[in-house]
Amino acid sequence: MDNIVFSIGITALAGALATVAGAAEDVESDIGSQGDPNSQVQLAPQMGYIHRIYNKAIAGEPPAWGLWIALGAGIAWAFMAMQINPILAIVLGAGLATFVQGVYSTTAYLGRTASLSKFGQPVYIDIIKSMTTVTMAHAFVAIFATVTLCHLMNAALGHPFPLPLLGLVWGIALGAAGSATGNPYYGKERQYQTQNFGAGVPISASGNIVRYAEAGERNSLDNGFFTAKLGGPASGVCFGLIVFLELWRTVLFEKIGAGWGAIIVGVIIILIFTIIDRYIEVWARKNYGPYTKPEETSS
Amino acid sequence: MSALGGAKPAGGSTGIAPVPTLISLVIFVIIFAIMYMYGGSLGVTALIGIVIGGLLIGFGVHFVPVGGAPAAMGQAPGIATGVAMLAAGGGLAGLFGGAWAASQGTLVAVVTGAIGGGLMLAITCFFVNFVYIYGMGIPAASGKVKKDPITGDSQPEYKSQGTEGHGLPFVSFVGGVIGGILGGAGGTLIYLMLLDVYNASLPGVMKATAVQVEPIAVSLAGMFAIGMFLVIAVLAAYNITGTIEGPHDPKFKRFPRALIASAVASALCGVAAIMLVMV
Repeated sequence: MDNIVFSIGITALAGALATVAGAAEDVESDIGSQGDPNSQVQLAPQMGYIHRIYNKAIAGEPPAWGLWIALGAGIAWAFMAMQINPILAIVLGAGLATFVQGVYSTTAYLGRTASLSKFGQPVYIDIIKSMTTVTMAHAFVAIFATVTLCHLMNAALGHPFPLPLLGLVWGIALGAAGSATGNPYYGKERQYQTQNFGAGVPISASGNIVRYAEAGERNSLDNGFFTAKLGGPASGVCFGLIVFLELWRTVLFEKIGAGWGAIIVGVIIILIFTIIDRYIEVWARKNYGPYTKPEETSS
Repeated sequence: MSALGGAKPAGGSTGIAPVPTLISLVIFVIIFAIMYMYGGSLGVTALIGIVIGGLLIGFGVHFVPVGGAPAAMGQAPGIATGVAMLAAGGGLAGLFGGAWAASQGTLVAVVTGAIGGGLMLAITCFFVNFVYIYGMGIPAASGKVKKDPITGDSQPEYKSQGTEGHGLPFVSFVGGVIGGILGGAGGTLIYLMLLDVYNASLPGVMKATAVQVEPIAVSLAGMFAIGMFLVIAVLAAYNITGTIEGPHDPKFKRFPRALIASAVASALCGVAAIMLVMV
């Protein structure tokens, strides 16, 4: 009984850490313009719109986060093997991985922006100075939280994978969840804030991103401020639920029916999410209504 | 994906070219012959499992609705990230669960991995629609079909002007979950096959006891399983070329080509991973 209570506590802590990690990951990706919406940041100068938005898409979000978290986890693992306290080892691992992220960010910004010089896009040194450190701070939070939850899975819950491998697996999952949930909010809702609310961005408007703020030119810190209100928390809850429910069903139900208990609970959770998804899909169709009159279908 | 966004013309070539298929078949047979010569029945059995795992992953990737950059602007339906990356995210989350259940037998572990992958993508797909609907006020609409094949909901009038659709209609949601299930099962199967080989061979190679080599066996099998997953997911992504809405997308019909490539790629990677300890 004590063992189950301990495991549930660890599960809850891992879920909470994952929520923080997901939120920090998405805000980092929005301030740094890491994900798919960066295609518009890269495109804008080519269409004649010079801007002061950070431009780094080093790689797709999932492999980039897989690298940073596997790196943080690997360094932390090495320090732990040297008998250093796990908390200190994880802080050191996350810190060093954050510096790697900073190096990648700087070179990505310089390389990407310099490639736009023929369209008149300047490289702003003040942007590098002020934005890079902010993305690094968010990256540190995400890496530290994810490496810690991987350590909990390995040391407290007894998962057989070593820490660096868990870091790679959950780093890729973190990037996948964060980019899937957070990218549309940054890409459509923030970069194209001047377009109609409640509709997708017409393809003809591509590249015409919002470049001015309440005072002066908009920069990526303004984007972080905006996306931290919904995109970031939604990504956090998404990744938090993935980690929590995956661990919860295993910890509580694995012993029932020689492993089939956890499987059945997993199927039930999938069905619950399917029903909720269908409910909100129908809700949106009813409440927002169609954009045009229904077509006469011959079939 | 084009920086200008927008879905590419649907369909494309779905046929199977005979010459490359024949070459693939020859390579496939040679790999199995080499495996039989050096690895015996244990090696061949493991390789068959790895190829089945590879086929599951290659097929599963085609189900995952991925919209790439246009989806991030609400210009096309799907999840706003890359095909291989999202499939890897779901499949590896499944592998995490499957590896945890490895001691409970192959069937339970593979099904646990499948459900882990399905769970990850069910939650992710739900949050995609959540952000579209409650964050951006946009209902889901497909650009490839007039009616959702599962629910029968009409789609064209819910597409906003100048876009190919947006969000995840129900058929895409179901496709995502199926993709996660197949990916999680395939990744876990590859891991279990490699784990069996390493557990059997490493004590002799390293002159150590089974208990001593277990952490190395788990780590090696995990690394190769993740590596093979990424190889096959990227191959399938090349077959898809950019974006896909799910099983109702005309591009889905291209999957037989990806299955041939996945079988050969997984056999090639598998033989390298097995011969590491058997030669």
